[in-house]
Amino acid sequence: MSNVIVCFKWVKAEDDLRIDSSTLAVDLSKSKGKISDYDRNAIEAARIASEAAGSETVALTFGSADTKTALKDALSRGPKQAFWVNDVSAENADGFVTANMLAAAIRKIGSYSLIVCGEGAADTYAHQVGPRIGALLDIPVISFVKEMRIDGNRLYAVRKLEDSLEQVEADLPAVVTVLPEINPAPIPGLKAVLEGGKKPVTEFKIQDLDLEDGDTSRKTDVVSFKGCSMSRKKILINEGDAKERVTALVAALKKEGVL
Amino acid sequence: MSGEDKFDVIIIGAGPAGTACAYTLAKEGKNVLVIERGVTAGSKNVTGGRFYTYALDLVEPGLWKDATLERKVTHEQIMMMDGNQSITIDYSNPLFNKEGEMPQSFTILRAVFDEWFASKAEEQGAVIACGIKVDGLIEENGRITGVKAGGDEMFADLVIAADGVNSMIAREAGLVPELSDKTIGVGVKEIIELPAKTIEERFHLKPGEGASLLMLGCTEGIHGGGFLYTNNESISLGCVFTPSEAAAHGRQVHDIFQDLKMHPSIYPLIEGGKTVEYGAHLVREEGYRGIPKQLYRDGLMVIGEAAGFVLNIGYTIRGIDLAIVSGVAAARAVISGSNPGPAYLEELKNIKLLPSMKAVDGYFDLLEIHRLYETYPKVAGGVFNKMYSISGETPVSIKKGIWGVLKDNKVSLWQLVKDGIRGYRSI
Repeated sequence: MSNVIVCFKWVKAEDDLRIDSSTLAVDLSKSKGKISDYDRNAIEAARIASEAAGSETVALTFGSADTKTALKDALSRGPKQAFWVNDVSAENADGFVTANMLAAAIRKIGSYSLIVCGEGAADTYAHQVGPRIGALLDIPVISFVKEMRIDGNRLYAVRKLEDSLEQVEADLPAVVTVLPEINPAPIPGLKAVLEGGKKPVTEFKIQDLDLEDGDTSRKTDVVSFKGCSMSRKKILINEGDAKERVTALVAALKKEGVL
Repeated sequence: MSGEDKFDVIIIGAGPAGTACAYTLAKEGKNVLVIERGVTAGSKNVTGGRFYTYALDLVEPGLWKDATLERKVTHEQIMMMDGNQSITIDYSNPLFNKEGEMPQSFTILRAVFDEWFASKAEEQGAVIACGIKVDGLIEENGRITGVKAGGDEMFADLVIAADGVNSMIAREAGLVPELSDKTIGVGVKEIIELPAKTIEERFHLKPGEGASLLMLGCTEGIHGGGFLYTNNESISLGCVFTPSEAAAHGRQVHDIFQDLKMHPSIYPLIEGGKTVEYGAHLVREEGYRGIPKQLYRDGLMVIGEAAGFVLNIGYTIRGIDLAIVSGVAAARAVISGSNPGPAYLEELKNIKLLPSMKAVDGYFDLLEIHRLYETYPKVAGGVFNKMYSISGETPVSIKKGIWGVLKDNKVSLWQLVKDGIRGYRSI
């Protein structure tokens, strides 16, 4: 079996997001990057699948210059090599542009039997990229995958739907978008981290890829990007004895409709 | 063991000590691995940062110009507090910050500084592996030959423990005993965000200038004190306590800290700010006498706060510069090619670290005087109260006033003289 390609996204870590409570503007400047949480499970799923089939895992990402750190992290999680479409436009690309880039890079990489993506990115969770790659490469797509198994040239997967599980099969090559529950994403050990820093990375520029006019223009427009802030009512009940305070508290909670 | 699994030196911890050591070794072509438990260097740190610049110049002349520092310290302040009253001394001397020369000291945010410093060591060729906890040492025939981390083993000619105040590695190696609650402090700190302009107005600073304020008498009589540093767009405010005394006192450390924040002399400095970070940590309080008898054994050396290199001498707190200096000393010992352990001790002397710490060793005795944390701030406050109370009544003489205040606070002349002598001797 030929390579398993796993796509991942480098996103801003949500811990360090700052939201201005009056304007709801989001300050990303203090945020560090991280591999999208769900994609960590996807990388491990790809590693398990390729190990079972005796093939190699290859990591692929589309990101701007600061994605460099991500490659080391991704490679410490098992893939033998990484491909990186390096362009600043990744920072505000939508699913359409990202899928175009990744599909073009996958054609460039050449041989593959399986493409693994996370079900959605930790920042947008738009479910766009995986299915679009499948359409662009004209191969089957299986989404919401919670289990998968490869037997020869056939992929067997279990999809988790809202109220049921669905068993599906497809011929390879195919695209799967996997749920985090497909397998845990172990934290890489010391040796894996050291090896990750030494594995090869191939960098593509946009002009290296066979793209058509319009492939790099987004289909969606972001009208606004705002934080969500919860304001407290700051009601202080500190008058009277305990009984009066409790009565006042219960009355206040009733008034707010929480009791 | 294969070449892949063997380094010249493995350093545990990418704080200032470990990174300074890695930088210096890598620059000399040594094959260095730094193992850091945090996701990034500095991510586990809560030091309320003040840093003396000379140390970074020892690592590489001029390196400080490239560092992510906050404000150069132009104002040194000490505040004595009692109840709602306070006395502040503000010392400033332009000689510490001459135009075109290296400023003496900066405030820093460690999460930012450590990450920058680690990236510099990486540029020199050091390998820094973050997000990995070292589980223990590998010992062969009495010699430390490597470390265990996760399921992996990694070997080196020398292991350097730079894993901070509560060094598990130094303890495992038998170099440092369990920390005692008498000799360490518990520090709590908040980082409070404020616009740069507001900070400059409140502390009378020009852009880029900063203040360092230490507080005495804010710990309800518990051995300890408060600190405040101005960063670019935030203030680091915290206090340190002796934990056993705080426990006996029956008040939560956090509550005492809240009272400090609400003190009429502190609140106006932080008013309107937003707390963006809260942390608590241990800090060594013993100075020179807290340094372990043995700083190395075959295959292992201890540097930074793991080796007790911290100074709290009442008017200033130093740790980051000493950590860096000890890291450089360890690296020089390795580079010298002689027996690294004894060479390390020699370097610590040459680089003036041990002598500097010894010179101020007496402060520990001074800081042991219990009256320093409640009675004397009260006395000082009382005296100033007498001096500045004008009501049109005939005032008592200052002399009389002082005796009255001493009596009110149950301080005898004998105690005062004794503490005075002890204080004078210790400095």
